[in-house]
Amino acid sequence: MRATVVRKTIPRKETSGAGDILQGTLDMLILRTLILGPAHGHTIAQVIEHTSENALEIEEGSLYPALHRLEDRGLLASEWGFSENNRKAKFYQITARGRRHLTGQTSRWRRMTRAISLILGESAG
Amino acid sequence: MSLRRFLQRKKKDADLAEEIASHLAHEQEANIARGLSPEQARRQARLNFGNPESIRDRVWRYRSMPWIEDVWRDLRFALRSLAKVPGFTAIAVLVIAVGIAANTAVFSVINTVLLRPLTYPEPQSLVQLMNTGPQGTFSVANVPKFNIWNQQSSIFQYVAGYDQGGAGLNLTGGNDPEQVQGVHVTVDYFRLFGAPILAGRTFSSAEDSPHGGRVVVLSYALWKRRFGGDSNIVGTNIRLDGQSYMVVGVVGRNFVTESPCDLWLPFQFDLTSQDMAHYFVAAARLQPGVTPRRADAQLKLATDQFRRTYPGALGPQGGFSVTPLQEVMVGDVRTSLLVLLGAVSFVLLIACANVANLLLIRATARKRELATRSALGAGRGHIIRQLLTESLVISFAGGFLGCILGMVGVRLLLAVSSGSIPRVGEDGSAVTLDLNVLLFTFAVSVLTGILCGLIPAIGASRNNLAAALNESSSRSGVGFRSGKIRSVLVISEMALALVLVVGATLLIRTFMKLQAVDPGFDTHNVVTMAMSISGERFQNTSGVAQVIHDGVERINTVPGVTITAAACCLPLQGGFGLPFDIVGRPKGESPSTGGGGYFPVSSSYFEAFNVPILRGRNFTEHDNGSAAGVVIVNEAMAKQYWPNGDPLNDRLIIGANMGPVFVEPPRQIIGVIGNMRDGGLNRDPAPTMYIPMAQMPDKVTALNSRIAPLWWIVRTRVEPHTVIRSLSVALREASGGLPVAHIRTMDEIVVVTTSRERFNMLLLTIFGSSALLMAAIGIYGLMAYSVQQRTQELGVRMALGAQASNIRNMVIRQGMVLALVGVVLGIGGSLGLTRFLASFLFGVQALDPLAFIATPVLLTAVAFLAVWIPALRATRVSPMTALRFE
Repeated sequence: MRATVVRKTIPRKETSGAGDILQGTLDMLILRTLILGPAHGHTIAQVIEHTSENALEIEEGSLYPALHRLEDRGLLASEWGFSENNRKAKFYQITARGRRHLTGQTSRWRRMTRAISLILGESAG
Repeated sequence: MSLRRFLQRKKKDADLAEEIASHLAHEQEANIARGLSPEQARRQARLNFGNPESIRDRVWRYRSMPWIEDVWRDLRFALRSLAKVPGFTAIAVLVIAVGIAANTAVFSVINTVLLRPLTYPEPQSLVQLMNTGPQGTFSVANVPKFNIWNQQSSIFQYVAGYDQGGAGLNLTGGNDPEQVQGVHVTVDYFRLFGAPILAGRTFSSAEDSPHGGRVVVLSYALWKRRFGGDSNIVGTNIRLDGQSYMVVGVVGRNFVTESPCDLWLPFQFDLTSQDMAHYFVAAARLQPGVTPRRADAQLKLATDQFRRTYPGALGPQGGFSVTPLQEVMVGDVRTSLLVLLGAVSFVLLIACANVANLLLIRATARKRELATRSALGAGRGHIIRQLLTESLVISFAGGFLGCILGMVGVRLLLAVSSGSIPRVGEDGSAVTLDLNVLLFTFAVSVLTGILCGLIPAIGASRNNLAAALNESSSRSGVGFRSGKIRSVLVISEMALALVLVVGATLLIRTFMKLQAVDPGFDTHNVVTMAMSISGERFQNTSGVAQVIHDGVERINTVPGVTITAAACCLPLQGGFGLPFDIVGRPKGESPSTGGGGYFPVSSSYFEAFNVPILRGRNFTEHDNGSAAGVVIVNEAMAKQYWPNGDPLNDRLIIGANMGPVFVEPPRQIIGVIGNMRDGGLNRDPAPTMYIPMAQMPDKVTALNSRIAPLWWIVRTRVEPHTVIRSLSVALREASGGLPVAHIRTMDEIVVVTTSRERFNMLLLTIFGSSALLMAAIGIYGLMAYSVQQRTQELGVRMALGAQASNIRNMVIRQGMVLALVGVVLGIGGSLGLTRFLASFLFGVQALDPLAFIATPVLLTAVAFLAVWIPALRATRVSPMTALRFE
């Protein structure tokens, strides 16, 4: 008697191809938010949620890996400080490199969405 | 960048945890502001956020270098799980350590002898000049050849002649006279070998010509030892052989010659000499860019030139060539060492197979552990990697231990080899632990770990998860697959062991045959000693005859001595050879009738060795310089050159065509003696001529005195070692103060001449028996384990009426099938491999029937014993306990 071999596959990478786009988008949204001025993680999450009219449903927690990655890449700088309701919070600030990156990304994004809407025709608009 | 992230990740993680806490607090407050209860607010905040741990994990992982962590984790796990089974770990490590130790020991000798370059600068351009001919290639030289080689400046930068210090010199002055090794060299010797000069200079061309004066260059060691490193030594005189020599230089410490040398003297050749006797060797340094092959091509032209200049001096097939010096130094030891390495790697393979078997057993016992791990998400790769890490930990521990054991082992190995391996230095001091050896041990450890870990790891990772988890641990017998792998391992162990034991048997037989060889003379109760006679008074025959006469007379008064003799050389050690003509016999095309050994001996030589006179008469005291020339030939010569005639009717011209030195009137053959093995026990006796030392031509005596010591041979009626002291005193008195050296009994010389064979035999016997032992343990382990695993099955069989003998025979049959398959494969392997041993064998064929019958029988018997014990245990299974054995 042969029983089937049970293979457990564990997801080794948390981002698949589709996730990559989302990842890039999230990065762009964070940078865009911080153009307005330094903010801590909770504020950034609120801003993204509100401005996107909750269209991008993200777990708030997933913001943090993105923030840390952006900081490691030198697009953001961070600093501990105190929030509006006097709690200790880590404030993020966009760097000059981050601004340049955002400009580049935004224009790429515009070109792409334009191309997509051209292909999909007026109905998409 | 990523490394900094990696190193900072602990601090960053704490940072992130605090950040998350802060986020949750903010969100909770916001929720409370929206009107939720604190409890709900907290809950909602958490829901919104997602799992903080997984967020932290994501950040942590992206900051980490997974492989370092994985390796570290695997390593810790391996150490932990091995620590839980100390017995298993100790055995596995020990088996590997022994295997690696043997390999390290053999390799470190190979490293020194074969791999390490010569100590001279740019050793690859050093070549030895060779004479090629139908009998082989010989590194010998004479002045006419040296001249021709020296002219080849398009291929050679320098050519130098040197002897090998055979005679020894007596260094006197100071308290103790001492025999030192002096090497005669030509002027370019030091430049050729790149010798650094510490003080003074080397010889000038003028000093290296006849009547160039008595000058000497000292070695660093002699300068330090004998002269206390005296910085003013250059220009002073030292006494050698009773003559005053001026020290012109001291060679630097780093200059180490291959054979030990205390000082150098100029050869002072007469370059116009036509003397064709070979009494030195020559080396050359190739011009930059010249390959040995190109040098050979050029030497072909030189050969033609030589033949035109000296007609008849070279045989029709003779010629010149070069061989890289290192190759010459290593000689035939190369094959011997490589065969040993092959043999010792078999031992390691068997050790690997044994450890692999142990690991397989362990993997079976850990089936449930591994299944649980894989159920919890460990991939197959994870499990293989984990198990490999364990086996690598074992093999590295074994490698470390083996390295230490190996360095001890190599001392033993060199002690056993007793001077039969070149280039290992004094007492093997040149064999050291260097980077090569360490790299070798490291590589072998890695290979061993993978070799013995991979099969069990792959097998274990192939676990049937559901079945493994469901079944009770004790019932999980040897799985079909792992049982098969283990059988294959045991079969290969048997096969490898058989090959080694066949090899060992062949070498044991060789050694026994060699021991049984009749040397042709009585070796017992004979002591031999060498006296250097390089001094001025031994340049003519009467001087040598006088010292022999005085010595014999004086020694015969020593109590316990029966007969004393002297000779140019000792039996078994090789000697001189010269061509000869038989007077009145046509010799056709060739330059002489034949060639044979040439042994100048004193009149009592044959008596001292108890050699029978087969025909004619022995030498007497009266066969001296004033009497007619006589010669005695051995049986081999009589048989070869007078198959039907009587040698006693003929006269010999010895040294015909060898140049003016050897010119002498014909000698009457006066006797035929029994064959003595002069070239070694494993050489058939060659035609040999013995002539009275008192009748040698003066010039030949001068040549001999220069290149070889005078050997004294003393037969005693007491144990020879007891008289050595009085003998050397007596000889010193009789010779006017000359010391003796190399004092050995003839029995000891027999031991030395067979040391290579003893060494090979001993090592292969050790390898073979350890292989046999390990293979026996392997097959025992497999059968014992399978009996234990099948306790239940055996119990059922017995409950159903199987007799104990049925059970026993079943187990024996299963074990012996494996053993026999291994034996058959091993015989096949041996048939192919023993031919590599052919050159080590003497009196035994590589396909020796005895070895090929006795060894398999021996192995089968040992395997039977190893199977018998578990079989017996199987019959003791009580059905009741077996069925309860859950």
